[in-house]
Amino acid sequence: MFVPVAQTREIASGGMKAVDRGDRKIVICNFNDTFYAVERQCSHQGASLDMGTLDGYILTCPLHYAQFDIRTGEALSGPVPPDPRHPTGDLCSYAVKVENDTILVEIK
Amino acid sequence: MNVQARKEALRYFFRKVVDPLGYKFSPDTELVEFSLEQEVALERKYGVPYCPCKRISGSRSENMKIVCPCIPYHREHFDAMKRCWCGLFVHKDVTDPSKLKQFPAQPLKKG
Repeated sequence: MFVPVAQTREIASGGMKAVDRGDRKIVICNFNDTFYAVERQCSHQGASLDMGTLDGYILTCPLHYAQFDIRTGEALSGPVPPDPRHPTGDLCSYAVKVENDTILVEIK
Repeated sequence: MNVQARKEALRYFFRKVVDPLGYKFSPDTELVEFSLEQEVALERKYGVPYCPCKRISGSRSENMKIVCPCIPYHREHFDAMKRCWCGLFVHKDVTDPSKLKQFPAQPLKKG
């Protein structure tokens, strides 16, 4: 089911917005005016990724600099320094669509 | 984690750094792919994509000078050679990197 989470004007290109829907913590990212949604908590130690940096399609965690591809949720690199005790997995990614300037995210 | 995806991410970041410095990725695509792959392996081990052709020492300040792209730390040499040590980056005007010479890391003689 797609649920509205934000208006397109709320997130400039290169920007992010944190939203909560039920127990889901999500960050909406604007990459070249295409919107993507991924899980908001870093898969390494749970830091809020919306406090990190979005550079193109790459989202960097503010805590240990793990990086993720917002288009797929894929983990691109682990923390710095490497932390074998806490492996960094992929983020959950959500389908997104825009209708009448409203961003909708599919919550299953 | 996927090596190819990480290589693309490094390519994305590095291009943004080297372009304003007057450099580009080498036209030798085989060398570029190999070097990036080695950097991904170094990053997995140390957390930092060090230059794959330089020795990692015990000195952090020295190691920071070989974090790729290391162009700002070795600008004089690289501008003289029109390439970086490992050949991953070349001057924007270079079309045939095989013709470029390498100089040793010692200070360059002036004149």
